[in-house]
Amino acid sequence: MFSESTLVFIALGAIFAYSFYAVLVAGQLSLGQAGFASLAAFTGATLAPAPDDVGDLPALLIAIVIGMSVGAVTAVVLGLPTMRLRGVFLAIATLAFAEAVRILIINMEWTGGAQGMSVPKVVEPWMAWAILAIVAYWFWRQGNSRYGRALEAIREDELAARAMGIDVGSHRLSAFVSAGALAGLYGVLWAFFVRLLAPEDFGFAKAIDGLVTAVVGGSTAFFGPPLGSFFLEMVPEVQRAIGIEAGWIRPFLASLLMLLVILFLPGGLASLLPRRSQKLVLASSGDDAGSLTQRVHPAPGETVVQLAGLGKDYGGVHANKDIDLHVTGGEVIGLIGPNGAGKTTLVNMISGLTRPTSGTAEVLGLQPGRAAVHKIAAAGVSRTFQHSKLFARLSALENVMVGGHLVSKPTFLRRLLWLPSARRDEQQAARHAASCLERVGLADKAGNKASALSYGDQRRLEIARALASDPSLLILDEPAAGMNHVEADALSDLIASLASDGLTILLIEHNVGMVMKTCSRIVVLNFGEVIATGTPEEIANNPAVVEAYLGSSESEDAS
Amino acid sequence: MQQLLNGLFIGAIYALFAIGFTLVFGVLDRLNLAHPAVFAVSAFVGIELVEVAGLSIWLTLPIVFVVGGILGMVIERVAFRPLKDRPDAHFAGLISSIALAGMFIALLQWRYGPDTRRFPADSFPSTTFTVFGAQVTVVQVAILVISVVLMVALTVLVARSRLGRGMRAVAENPTAARVLGINVDRVTMTTFAISSALGAVAGALFAMNVNSAQLTMGTAIELKGLAVIIVGGMGSLPGALVGGLLLGLAEVFAVQYIGSSWRDLVAFGLLFLILLVRPQGLFGARKVREV
Repeated sequence: MFSESTLVFIALGAIFAYSFYAVLVAGQLSLGQAGFASLAAFTGATLAPAPDDVGDLPALLIAIVIGMSVGAVTAVVLGLPTMRLRGVFLAIATLAFAEAVRILIINMEWTGGAQGMSVPKVVEPWMAWAILAIVAYWFWRQGNSRYGRALEAIREDELAARAMGIDVGSHRLSAFVSAGALAGLYGVLWAFFVRLLAPEDFGFAKAIDGLVTAVVGGSTAFFGPPLGSFFLEMVPEVQRAIGIEAGWIRPFLASLLMLLVILFLPGGLASLLPRRSQKLVLASSGDDAGSLTQRVHPAPGETVVQLAGLGKDYGGVHANKDIDLHVTGGEVIGLIGPNGAGKTTLVNMISGLTRPTSGTAEVLGLQPGRAAVHKIAAAGVSRTFQHSKLFARLSALENVMVGGHLVSKPTFLRRLLWLPSARRDEQQAARHAASCLERVGLADKAGNKASALSYGDQRRLEIARALASDPSLLILDEPAAGMNHVEADALSDLIASLASDGLTILLIEHNVGMVMKTCSRIVVLNFGEVIATGTPEEIANNPAVVEAYLGSSESEDAS
Repeated sequence: MQQLLNGLFIGAIYALFAIGFTLVFGVLDRLNLAHPAVFAVSAFVGIELVEVAGLSIWLTLPIVFVVGGILGMVIERVAFRPLKDRPDAHFAGLISSIALAGMFIALLQWRYGPDTRRFPADSFPSTTFTVFGAQVTVVQVAILVISVVLMVALTVLVARSRLGRGMRAVAENPTAARVLGINVDRVTMTTFAISSALGAVAGALFAMNVNSAQLTMGTAIELKGLAVIIVGGMGSLPGALVGGLLLGLAEVFAVQYIGSSWRDLVAFGLLFLILLVRPQGLFGARKVREV
């Protein structure tokens, strides 16, 4: 049943599927892999020395180096202009690239045109499987590294990932380049196995095969691609073995099985295998846990936020107008106002997610709107979102570890080499995350999926995630929404204790009692403008504020 | 002149095919990759109707339209509805529709075998017109007229009718539409039905234009359809119309002046250019990202 070619094709199919997996883990759908593979196969087969001169293995290895370089370089060239495209657009652009490559190669002289070129057969099953093992090892080690978590965070919620200080553009590009290199690897192996290399080997159907293999196998577990490849290669083998020969039944059953897998196994075949949940190593050494928080916060009196005449228009609508605000180190500022007053727009501008249309802003020495969001985060701005933007399919602990992206060290390359220091750093990052969870009272839910938490717990998890980056300025956008009085009081205490650590806090909240109790200064917005600022007592007695909240006596008469 | 007209005829079919694609994408934000399979199925069904039942080619079109509609409902029910609440519905929908397409094509192979099929010899009226010195057959004129009429009808339907309002509401926000009393599931299913019905007519017309149907005919047009909807703007109906005609013309002229081996590059060159210069397409609106 396992003929030589079946064995090789299972391994090759898995390697090709890994090149899709490489981008799918980051939430990107690329269909350009067939193009990378094609270019790599033809260049590799042309430029590498003949196996008769240097021996089979050296020739293959040289071709692999050439092919992977070609794949990676092409991915950079294609990736630079296309990485801003999302979802289906990226898929179609890369598909177009692959088709263009196919047509170009058909029309070239050196590739042998539509007939293709003959290539000596060098690849043995053991070579293909050894290479597959290396690739699988790579992705296994990537999984629990800081880099791997950052990619997953981008897949789950790109905007939140950015706000956690992850440079989304370069992460997406690096995922794309690794996809290119892997596709190149596949192309070369294919070329040196099939004897006759034709441009039609790398058409649309091939790209779809790779994608299907990756998704059917499972695109969230590193062992998914080999499973998918094994499954899809074995379906026709089994059919042949049990004597199903009619031409149409085979594709029909293969498609049907694929449909069943995708409909009933959301995580692909990989979800059938039990997965060892990440062990929490939180034992002892409380001293280490604190070592990730080393930022020197601005002293009281030092400027943290300086806004002058800041405004934001959407069409003709002024979401914010002429906002002047000066926040200094250690202050707890409450930002209140009726719904639609422009509170969220204001904090979006402060955290760099929204570009102001007028005025200037300076936050911790940077100018949000000009500086990239992840740079603002690196300067020490961290935030929660009004509508939960958690990384839904990651555990609570992993969410917070992503929050700690900026303060933890990259571990992927050291994990590949199995260095003990990588393990230490990972444990330290996990302990740091666990201590943040403990601070918001979620320590016992560390292993739960974020999407499975209750609403109030999700709000707390957002705070823990924001805390993990050791921020100087913490922006909380309606953190108490959905909490009861007891929980809100606990949150209030937490905010007070954070302030005593030296953090500057900007709190948007509708629970006015809580704001009055917690904040040192309150800013009231209405219709996009600041209508009052002052201490809680001043605000409580300010007629303009009372009017904004309760309506004027006249309008009450009118109604 | 002959080239210009040929480009228009083939472009009209591209447009009709692409408009079904873009309708589903625009309303439901899903790419239905079973659409090309409907295109192929309807071509075979059309030929069968003429050959076995002896119908005139004109009568086959409404029947094919209905068949396409039914296939559309099957696609929605089997490949898309079960996935709608999944976080990876985008990718999963692509895969499930590819799988369903594979099943359709396998069934075609079972019924008709792997060979190319043609209409019976005398099924086309032999009248030809001469327009500005170019030869045009009745079938070609019909292709252009039927495609344009269907596309205009669809545009009016979406803009004016109650169903169209429902579609646009679902496109904006399915949850809000449901709260407002729109039967989102029914609107979704109808959208798929209309989309596939148009794709089916396109398939039958294509088979008439070249007088042949092959199992792989869907794959060939699929890539062009994708190019057309990107060039025209994802989800834009007029965009698909203009994009389709543009592509048809560009291809014909590419064959004329550059060489037939480069014809297929035109679609992708056009597509790439648009994605880089104007990613929202000729008629698409740029979506504002929400925070």
